[in-house]
Amino acid sequence: MRALLSSLFEHRRLVLDMVRRDLRARYVGSAMGFFWSVVFPILNLVVYMFVFSFVLETRWEDGQDPRMVALIMLTGIVVWQTFAETMSRSTNTLVENQNLIQKVVFPSEVLPVFLTLSALANMLIGAGIALLGVVYFGYVADVDAAPAASGVVRSLAIGPAILSLPVLMLLQAIFSAGLGFLFSALNLYMRDVYHLMGVALSVWMFLTPIFYPANMVQKAGLEWVLKINPMYWLIESYRRVLLYGLWPQVRIVGVFALVALLVFAIGSQFFQSQKPRFPDLL
Amino acid sequence: MNASHDSQAPRAQQAKDTGTSAILCRGLGKSYRIYDKPMHRLWDLMGVLRKPAREFWALRNVYLDIPPGSTVGIIGENGAGKSTLLKLLTGITQPTEGEVAVRGRVASLLELGAGFHPEFSGRDNIRLNCRVLGMNEDEVEQRFAGIVAFSELGDFIDRPVKTYSSGMYVRLGFAVAASLEPDVLLIDEALSVGDEHFRGKCINRLNQLRESGKTIVFVSHDIGAVKSMCQWVVLLDKGEVVGQGSAESVADEYLKRAHARGNVQMSALRGTSTYPHWGSGEIELTEVEMFGHGGKATLVFQPGEPFRIRLHYKASKDCVSPVFGVGLYRADGTYVNGVNHLWREKPIQFGSVRAGETGVVELEAPRLALLQGQYYLTTFLYDHSKAAPTAIDHREHVLTFQVVDARRLQHGLLYLPYRWRVERKSAEGTAEILESES
Repeated sequence: MRALLSSLFEHRRLVLDMVRRDLRARYVGSAMGFFWSVVFPILNLVVYMFVFSFVLETRWEDGQDPRMVALIMLTGIVVWQTFAETMSRSTNTLVENQNLIQKVVFPSEVLPVFLTLSALANMLIGAGIALLGVVYFGYVADVDAAPAASGVVRSLAIGPAILSLPVLMLLQAIFSAGLGFLFSALNLYMRDVYHLMGVALSVWMFLTPIFYPANMVQKAGLEWVLKINPMYWLIESYRRVLLYGLWPQVRIVGVFALVALLVFAIGSQFFQSQKPRFPDLL
Repeated sequence: MNASHDSQAPRAQQAKDTGTSAILCRGLGKSYRIYDKPMHRLWDLMGVLRKPAREFWALRNVYLDIPPGSTVGIIGENGAGKSTLLKLLTGITQPTEGEVAVRGRVASLLELGAGFHPEFSGRDNIRLNCRVLGMNEDEVEQRFAGIVAFSELGDFIDRPVKTYSSGMYVRLGFAVAASLEPDVLLIDEALSVGDEHFRGKCINRLNQLRESGKTIVFVSHDIGAVKSMCQWVVLLDKGEVVGQGSAESVADEYLKRAHARGNVQMSALRGTSTYPHWGSGEIELTEVEMFGHGGKATLVFQPGEPFRIRLHYKASKDCVSPVFGVGLYRADGTYVNGVNHLWREKPIQFGSVRAGETGVVELEAPRLALLQGQYYLTTFLYDHSKAAPTAIDHREHVLTFQVVDARRLQHGLLYLPYRWRVERKSAEGTAEILESES
């Protein structure tokens, strides 16, 4: 892992260039470029608001305002999409860039890392829109916080806890990059990994309380599903920080950090051990 | 541009001691595992594969010692291990056995423009590519203007690369690669693309590098091209070095092997053509043969050699005025020549042919007028008794043959038997006449 980290450090400029290139590629190719990255989260917000809040009437708390529900969903979606994008792109990245791997002496560890960073940078737009929503609904339009059954009143707010956002993003990066290392290398041994990843991600998404409140799972007696799902811990932490201005729970973030580091250690170890064989496997 | 660069970087594990050589290989070998099913690869990774994978040696027992400043050619047929050797020298793959050591910075022109992004302008791609090739920021800035100028792309430099023609793409790729100033440059026939003007520039650049004492390794399956550029040639065949030495001596060995291989192919090809044939079928061609120097059956020829084609036929039904003909095509489909025995100053007329008749039609040329390349033969057998000739037995692509030109006496498509004559008169009035027959 040390060799991998020092190589990443050595090629930090390359990583940055590739992130920049990737972010630009998202916007350059389509006529309205950057616009889409802003419009999509807003569009999502409106659609979720409509489908889940009005049609399906999902509520986190009794009598909750649908606009608040939409914001909760949006936060979950933005984080999940960032993670899912990193995973599916990383898994295929070695195959996609076989030109570089087979024809050039290229530090392939750069690939999953730049994809992770590019997705996180893109996530900032979604997170920014969620924050704008918090400001608007929380302070301008003044949506009433529902009198919660649990007794804990959570209202939309922005607080100093926003400072913990970079920490969450860093941990997310470690977690995703670790998995990215693992699956990108595995995909060379079995190309089906890429397709399985698509299926696994959609199953995982619906097992994570993004479109429904976690307490529904608890009511159904399936709490263990949440207890083994790091993405649930991560998304809940983001929601605390972004929506309610609360500091994330140290215990949850701590456990997530441990898991993320473990995943990174395993993933990078495997990647590094298989790296000499990459050109032969393509 | 694809290239690889700094061998000082920790990831290139080849910065071993080369002594005084630029390139040193000792017992170098590379094997690949071949699995019956893709899943076996995964089982093997986990150590639970029952049946061991087969090993395929792409390269084995390679000993090379190349002094700095030399220009070395590596030749061999497709699959001889040339690309594998290049990848090992570059450090892209690791050897299975033996050692490889290259001194200094290596650049390889394995594939120009690897990693270009189609949506970005030439300018952006230059920057990114330089990075991929391992230049640092200062180096990129220093060379940027030179690269743009070398590529001669003009206004296109600010357009997305996806709008480039393939020639422009290669130019941009080469411009970046040319700016690398490597100690060892590996070239894989990358120069065969691009227009004449740009190729000239590339060759100038190569000559510059050579004169400044850089080591150049040139890989090709074209013995002529290698001979014109390299003093020392290494011949690879089936993953092994089978000859090494001056260009002339290796060229002979190469030709011998080409003949041997061509003749193996010949027996395999005869009568089993999968290309279309049609006709009414009164007469059938039973065999097509080609003969070269000394009347030996072969499918490998040299320009200027005597050359003979023989068509064997058998008639199963009666038929009137059949005419045999032959068409020569280059592998890319260019129709080079077509003849038959009727359309001549002195035609041969068959008259009527009875069922059961057999025979041989032969045509001979004292000198084969083709230059290096792959060619194929199409045979025509037509009934000329009617207003328009109709096919009796038309066979596309019956034989493939090769012309191998080790001497490189002429360039282009055709070998023409010119005679040269030079007349010189000195100021004192003495005259001299120089003549050359071939």
